[in-house]
Amino acid sequence: MSKQLTKEPASISGIEAMRGVGAAHAKGFWADAWDRVVGRFGARIALAWIGTIAFFAVLAPVLANAHPIYRKNLETGVWDSPLWQNLTSVDIALLAGALFGLPFVCMPLGAAMRVGMPERSSRLLMLLLGAVQAGLTIVISTGVSAWSRDSESVTWIRELARSSSFPWMAASTVGVVMAILAAIMVGRPATGARMRWLVIVLAAMVAIGASASRWSDRLVNFDIYDTQESSGKYDIVYTLVPFSPEFGRSDTYVFPPMTTLGERAPAMKGRPIGQRIVLLGTDALGKDVLSQMMWACRLSISIGLVSTGISVLIGVSIGAIMGFFGGWVDLLLFRVVEIFMAIPVLFLLIVAAAVLPRNTYMMMAIIGCVSWTGAARFTRAEFYKLRKQDFVQGAQAAGLPLRSVLFRHMLPNGVTPVLVDASFAVAAAIIAEATLSYLGLGPDGQSSWGKLLSSATGTTGTFVWWLAIFPGLAIFLTVLSYNMLGEAMRDAIDPKLRKAAH
Amino acid sequence: MLNYIVRRVLFMIPTLIGITFVVFLLLALSPGGIGAALSVSGGQQDASKAAILQVYLEDRYGLNDPVIVQYGRWMHRISPLKFGTRDQVTPAGERLQEPKDIPAPPLSAFAGAIVDRAAIEAAACDPNQLVLRGANEIECQRNYRKIANDALTARSKYLAARRGFESALVDYANAAKRPDLLDRKGKIIMTRLETEVPDQANAAWPKVEVAAKDLREAFARAVASRQVLARAFAERPFPEAGFTVIPGILWVGTPDLGTAFSKSRPVTGLLLDALPVTLLINFIAFPIIYLIAIPSGILASARAGSWFDKLSGATYVALWSIPTVWAGVLAVGYLANNQYLGMFPVSGLHDRAAESWTFLPGLQVDGVWHMGWLLDVTWHMVLPVSCLVYGGFAVLSKQTRAAMLDNFSADYVRTAKAKGVSRKDVVIHHVFRNSLLPLITMFVTVFPATLAGSVVIERIFSVPGMGSLMLDAIAQRDRELILADTFMIAVVNLGALLLADILYAVADPRVSYE
Repeated sequence: MSKQLTKEPASISGIEAMRGVGAAHAKGFWADAWDRVVGRFGARIALAWIGTIAFFAVLAPVLANAHPIYRKNLETGVWDSPLWQNLTSVDIALLAGALFGLPFVCMPLGAAMRVGMPERSSRLLMLLLGAVQAGLTIVISTGVSAWSRDSESVTWIRELARSSSFPWMAASTVGVVMAILAAIMVGRPATGARMRWLVIVLAAMVAIGASASRWSDRLVNFDIYDTQESSGKYDIVYTLVPFSPEFGRSDTYVFPPMTTLGERAPAMKGRPIGQRIVLLGTDALGKDVLSQMMWACRLSISIGLVSTGISVLIGVSIGAIMGFFGGWVDLLLFRVVEIFMAIPVLFLLIVAAAVLPRNTYMMMAIIGCVSWTGAARFTRAEFYKLRKQDFVQGAQAAGLPLRSVLFRHMLPNGVTPVLVDASFAVAAAIIAEATLSYLGLGPDGQSSWGKLLSSATGTTGTFVWWLAIFPGLAIFLTVLSYNMLGEAMRDAIDPKLRKAAH
Repeated sequence: MLNYIVRRVLFMIPTLIGITFVVFLLLALSPGGIGAALSVSGGQQDASKAAILQVYLEDRYGLNDPVIVQYGRWMHRISPLKFGTRDQVTPAGERLQEPKDIPAPPLSAFAGAIVDRAAIEAAACDPNQLVLRGANEIECQRNYRKIANDALTARSKYLAARRGFESALVDYANAAKRPDLLDRKGKIIMTRLETEVPDQANAAWPKVEVAAKDLREAFARAVASRQVLARAFAERPFPEAGFTVIPGILWVGTPDLGTAFSKSRPVTGLLLDALPVTLLINFIAFPIIYLIAIPSGILASARAGSWFDKLSGATYVALWSIPTVWAGVLAVGYLANNQYLGMFPVSGLHDRAAESWTFLPGLQVDGVWHMGWLLDVTWHMVLPVSCLVYGGFAVLSKQTRAAMLDNFSADYVRTAKAKGVSRKDVVIHHVFRNSLLPLITMFVTVFPATLAGSVVIERIFSVPGMGSLMLDAIAQRDRELILADTFMIAVVNLGALLLADILYAVADPRVSYE
């Protein structure tokens, strides 16, 4: 702070201030808070770690996959890429999003202005909304795909689902509906309206293409690549870690780190697969730990952010209503809050996770719907203070609709504690997911750090140290990062604590 | 104060109703409903027995009724105010209710004669003689059990026969090519059949007739044995529960939490075994949390900015971020497992042999020196309690430090310093006394977290507490046990929060709840 101050002129006269001298140095509240956060060493490390996790989450299919990235038949000269053919719609959407999204957000302001793009924060918001839109399209399309093939669905839909054009029809319908919803929800922002439409259309196109081309799950046979390679008729190039998290073999059961497969599994000796090294060992099902850890980054980062998003959304809405109306509305809704506070969150999570379907989306919804009380209480307290203030009463007197008063005028002034708390909530959500996975209540068919951790003290009674250390360390570091970020944000935003700390 | 406590306790009632309702709803939402795991737990058996078991379970838990009705029934059982005749309590602690009524067979006019229920009931037993002919109480109770078993079998057979009749009617509708008689799930719609004239030429008609005959016979047997059971129940072979308020209408009794089907034991007994264990762990953990947190928080704030402050601050964030599961797994793996240090017991609450040891260390009955029961339990508690403690004291020390720093910058502290009060006195008497309040408030956040943490700890260290009970119940989908466990945890949690509020008023004379 003090360094920046010395760069500015020693004093600015009133006329100079009116001419705009020094205006370039002035920063908004959030920009200032962000600079304070990034200024701390711990927070920078934390951001770097979260960035690493996000990197692995997006690139896991390209980094750790048992499908070869390149396969060439030496006799016919035909080549293909099994890895690309086996990517799921989520993989494709993530890769596409990262490929277009990063340059879109990181483009410097000057260059962005020249091609008609708005400032960075609104670009970031656009990307976020685009991601939500594309994600929902893919999730709903996957649901429709499973349902249309289900034996209990209506007969004519089941027959329609057999036709080859059905995936495109269904995915386009879902995608267009989601795009229209996204357009309505956002309205027409003043800046970058054209860019917003572009993002909506692009997100819809990527999501429709990805979910229609990967409509139903494929059956996989990983052994075929090894057979082909050892026959000498194929030229095969694998990814960095040539294992998939679902690729388990009974003869590679609990190998310690840095084992060459051929040395301990006699059946693999002399074959190309026998020369592979498992860097972090294998688990009790013979699956490679490193590839599972990489793929688990995806669950960790998504579950933390999405479930916190859900809980903030629910909490802020309910808290806003409670704080603004007060009286019997407050009394009634606070009973609901109290119900959720009456029982430790983990108990409810366990019951919910045990009885509801075990998939990632359900898990996010469960954690989000159970842990919203904190956000609700913070928002309630803030709104209670704000509603008597002049600008709110002015907005009401001007006849603005309730939606506008609550969310456009009051929310930006009262959302700070919720946002500070959100970082801690992400950490709590990650711990909750790890705990549930440890207890065997995690999502099915998805590698998770908690699930790996649970096989460290297996049924055999032996302790497998590499299954305890690596996943546990990953959970710990991620949770620590979010907590440190939260601390940094609280110190940056809350001036009272900032004063107390010095 | 008393007024406030009573009000708070009254406010707990809607909260408890709410929480059990949420859990009940969750259980009802699950795929296959509450009965899904019940019906698969039967294992390998032939189809007719499986059908009988299925209808028995559906009937017993009322699974075919709407969720709200099932919930109402559960609430009635656990409420202290109950309607109807008083329950009887078996020596095992199970509650016996008055036998349920037998529902009338459907469509008696469609296939076959109407059964005269009153005649069967009259013929079932001689009104002038006792049903439980036993020389003493024990024999009467044994006879009652036998009669109750007979009635149960007859009832489930009748319900299974109803199923058979329904499926015969479905065949009938299919053979008659009448899809309008079936609903969307392929079940027969009884009300539509009532007005129909039976078609004797239908290919499925003989099947319907046989099923109807089975149904009538099963109904007759069920009604007769139910009548005997009702008479036997009226003879009151077991001691009665609670007190009568209005005879036959209203009575007061302790809550009946039902019987856990997965363990075939009354839930109350299971809870009474498990709850003390969980409470013990938590009540050992809490003093330790406060004993470590307060001095370290005071020290950090008194020397704010020093290396101790910075180091402890960093350590606390790190400790706080260690997931309990990881700490537990590492503790079991490195400290308890024989592969490594093997210093602590791996599982359980006490040694198998400790039951026969004396309380304090010394020579035991077998002539060998053992550590005694107390030390043994303590030794088993070390790892679980330390896994529970570290997160709590990290949060609490940070809070202590923040609260102390808030007060350090207050005017009265400056005044005290200016007056020449010694630094120690300022810290202890002025600052710390006023920083106590946030510490008590923090109890509200730390206690539920610790209580929840003990679920995981109990699983990792195989401690037979509420958490283990809950996880077992969930694995078996034991509805009674899940509901009772949630209910009990909520009661403990709410009680602890109330205690914190009372302590708050005790610590701060300015606070009054009147």
